[in-house]
Amino acid sequence: MKNTRFLVGLAGVAAMVSYLMWTGVSDSMVYYMTPAELAERIEADPSFRDVGVKVSGRVVEGSWERSPGPAHAFRVADLDDPSVVFSVRYDDVVPDTFNDQAEVVLEGRFGLDEVFEAHTVLTKCGSRYEAAKEDLAT
Amino acid sequence: MTAVGEVALWIALPVALWGAVLAFAGGRSGRFDFVLSAERTVYALTFLLLLVSAGIVAAFVGDRYEFWYVASYSNRELDTYFKVAGLWAGQRGSLVFWTLLLSVFSSVAVFQNRRRNREFMPYVAGTLLAVQSFLLMALLFADVNPFERLGFTPANGRGLNPQLQNYWMTIHPPTLYLGFTAFAIPFAFAVSALLTGRLDSRWIAVTRRWVLLSWFFLTNGIVFGMRWAYEELGWGGYWFWDPVENASLLPWLTATAFVHSIQIQENRAMLKVWNMGLVAATFLLTIFATFLTRSGLIESVHSFAENLTIAYVFLGFLGVVAAVCAALIVYRLPQLRGENHLQSFLSRESAFLFNNLLFVGIAFAVAWGTLYPLFTEGFFGQKINVGPPYYNRVNVPVGLILLGLMGVGPVIAWRRASRRNLAKNFAWPVAAAAAVAAALVATGVRHWAALATFSISAFVMTVIATEFVKGTAARSRISGEGRGRSLLGLVRRNRRRWGGYVVHAGVVVIFTGFAGSAFDVAVAGDLAPGESLSVRSAFGHEYVLTYESLSHSRPRSSAGGENDWRWTALVTVRRGGERVAVMRPERRFYPVMDESSTEVGLHSTVLEDLYLIPRDVDLDGGEDRVSFEAKALPLVPWIWFGGMVVAAGTLVALWPAGRVKSRAAAGGAAPSLAAGRAA
Repeated sequence: MKNTRFLVGLAGVAAMVSYLMWTGVSDSMVYYMTPAELAERIEADPSFRDVGVKVSGRVVEGSWERSPGPAHAFRVADLDDPSVVFSVRYDDVVPDTFNDQAEVVLEGRFGLDEVFEAHTVLTKCGSRYEAAKEDLAT
Repeated sequence: MTAVGEVALWIALPVALWGAVLAFAGGRSGRFDFVLSAERTVYALTFLLLLVSAGIVAAFVGDRYEFWYVASYSNRELDTYFKVAGLWAGQRGSLVFWTLLLSVFSSVAVFQNRRRNREFMPYVAGTLLAVQSFLLMALLFADVNPFERLGFTPANGRGLNPQLQNYWMTIHPPTLYLGFTAFAIPFAFAVSALLTGRLDSRWIAVTRRWVLLSWFFLTNGIVFGMRWAYEELGWGGYWFWDPVENASLLPWLTATAFVHSIQIQENRAMLKVWNMGLVAATFLLTIFATFLTRSGLIESVHSFAENLTIAYVFLGFLGVVAAVCAALIVYRLPQLRGENHLQSFLSRESAFLFNNLLFVGIAFAVAWGTLYPLFTEGFFGQKINVGPPYYNRVNVPVGLILLGLMGVGPVIAWRRASRRNLAKNFAWPVAAAAAVAAALVATGVRHWAALATFSISAFVMTVIATEFVKGTAARSRISGEGRGRSLLGLVRRNRRRWGGYVVHAGVVVIFTGFAGSAFDVAVAGDLAPGESLSVRSAFGHEYVLTYESLSHSRPRSSAGGENDWRWTALVTVRRGGERVAVMRPERRFYPVMDESSTEVGLHSTVLEDLYLIPRDVDLDGGEDRVSFEAKALPLVPWIWFGGMVVAAGTLVALWPAGRVKSRAAAGGAAPSLAAGRAA
C-alpha cells in the first residue's frame, strides 16, 4: 500500500504524456532529407508525395523568379550532387538572408506537377556558427 | 591585456585541478589546512577567469582579428557594446563566460559558508572545482580555445549576425547563464550531502535561496529571450520550439519541479531520492542547454557540417556526471528512504507530487521532440523532425492541468483534506471560472484551449486573491493594524509562501497572454506612399495604417564607420479617425555581413500589440513601394507584464528574511544563507 498511490499517479501521468506524445509525433512528423534522397524515395514509393518533408539544398544561381506580390519560384540543387535539381514554388515572403545562392531548408510537399510546394523557407543561419578559416582569408 | 588573458587561461587549469584534489583529499582526511587551501583556489580561479574574460573583451574592442573567435563575431564598425558582448556571441567565449560566472558564484558560496555548514564545504568546493577543471580542459584541448590564432590577420572581421545586433543581446544571454550557473551551487551541496551522508533536509535549507536565485534568472532569461525573438525575428511570435529555445526550457522545467518538491521534503520528509534526481538532472540540463545545442550536434548531418569534437566531449562529461550521481544515490539509498507516505490523494503533498510528475513529463516530451531527429537518424538512418504541433499537442493540455493545480495546491490541506475543506475553499473560485467561461461563450468565443485558459485563470486568481484577503483580514483582526500594514506584515512573516502566490499570479497573467494568440489577426499589403492598410483587431476596433514615406540613412556607429544602412518607413496609425501612433519600421543592410534584417514597428496598448513588419523593401532604391504585414496581437503585452510580476514575486520569496541580520552576514548584495528557514 505504501507506494501504490505514488505509482498509480506516476503511471497515469506517464500514460497521458505518452499518449499525447504519440499522437503529436504522428501528426507533425516531418522527414528531413536531401534532394537526392527525396528523388529516390519518390521513385520507389509514389505515395511518399503526400508526406511532409524538410529538404535542404542550395538555390540555383539565377533561378529565382519573382512575380508581383509575395510569390516566388526558384530551383534548388542537392548540396553534394548539383545534378539533382527540382523546382520550388513558395507563396510567402522569403527570409532576410535569402538570395539566389543561399543554402535553404524547405518544408512542404512534392506536388504531382513535379514542383515542390513549400510552406516554409528557412535560410541557414551560418553566422550562429563560426566562420571557416578559408572564408576569413578573402 | 589579451596576452595576459591567454596566460591566465593556461594557469587556471592547474590551479583548478589542484584545488579539486586538495578539497577532496581534505574532505576525506579531515585536514582543515587542505580544505582552506582549496577554498582559496576558488577565489584565485575567479580572479584568473576575470583576466581571461577581460583578455577576450580587449581583443574584441581592440579589433584583434588575428584571433579566429574575434574575426568570426565582430567587425570594425560594430558598436562598442556589441563588441563587449562578443564575449558570449559564440561558443568559445560563452564557455569562458559560463566558467567565469560559475566561478563567481562558487566564490560567493564559499565565502558565505566560511564559518557555517563546514561539514559540507570540502566536497562543495571540490565538486565546483572539478566542474571548472573540466570546462577549462575543454577550453584548452577540445578545439575551442578563444585565443586560437588564424595565422594571418584579416582586414576586418566577418561581423556579428544581424539578429544578434539588438540590445537584448547584452541582456538575455547573461541572464540565462546566471540562472544556469547558479544552479551548480545546490548541485554541489547535493553531491556533498551524498558523500558526507548528511542526508536530512539541511542541504536543502542551505541552498534554497540559491535555487530561487537560479530560478529567478532562468525565468527572466527565458522571458527576455521571448521578448528578443518577438522584437527581432519579425514574425510576431515569441516561441518557435527551436532546439536552442527548448534547451533553455528544459532546466527551467526540472528546476520548477524541484522548487516545489523540496517543500514536500521539508514538511513531510518524503521524496529524498526524487529530489536528488531532480537536482542532478537540472544541473546536467544546464550544461546540455549551454553547450550541446550550440555545438551543432542536434542539427548535424543534413544541415551543418561542423566540428563535433566539443559535442562528444560534453556528451562524455554528462555521461560521467550522470553515472557518478546515480552511483552515489544508489549507495545512499538506505538513508534516503522517506519517513512518511502519502496518506490521501486529496492532500497538498499529492497535489505537489502531481505537479512534479507533470513538469517532468513536459520536460521529457520536450527533450524527446528536440532529440527525435537524432534518435531516428541513429536508429533508422532517417532524420525525422517534429514541429510546433507536436509540442502544442503535449504541452497545452498538460500546461492547463498545471495551471489549475496552482489554484488547488495552496489551499488544500497537508496529509488529508476533508470534503468540507474543499467545498469551503473552492466554491467561489469554481463559480468565477464558470462565470468567465459563460461570458466568453456568450460573446462568441469557441476556441477550446483559450476558453479553458481564461476560465482556469479566473479560478486560480480567485483562489490567490481570497488567500490574500483572508490572511490580511485575520492579521488585522489580531494585531489591530490597518489593512496595508497587515498585508505587509503578512508577507514579511512568510515571504516564501506569499511571494510564491505572487509568482503564481504572474504565471496566470502570462498564460492568458499565450491564449491571446488564438485571436491573432494578420493583414498584408503592398503599399505606395500615401496608401493605407487596415486591420480589424479581435476586440472589434479597426486600425488604419498609412504608409507616408521611406527614408534612407547610414548612421555612424559608436566605433566609427557605417555598420548598417537603414531604410526607414514612416507609418501613421489611426484608430477611430484619431492618430494614435507613428511607427518607424526598418529594413537594415549590413555591408560587412552582406545580410539584411528587419526592425518591426510596434504599438502597445494595455490589451494588445499592433505589430508591423516591413516585409519587402527595394533596397537598391528607385521604388518606394513597401510590402507590409500588419498584425493585431491580443494580450501579448500581458506576457511581458506577467513576467515582471513573476520576477517581483520571486524577489519577495528570495529577499533575506531578517534584514539587519543578513546585511551583517553577507554584506547586503549576496543572498544570505543565514536566513535559512524562512518558513
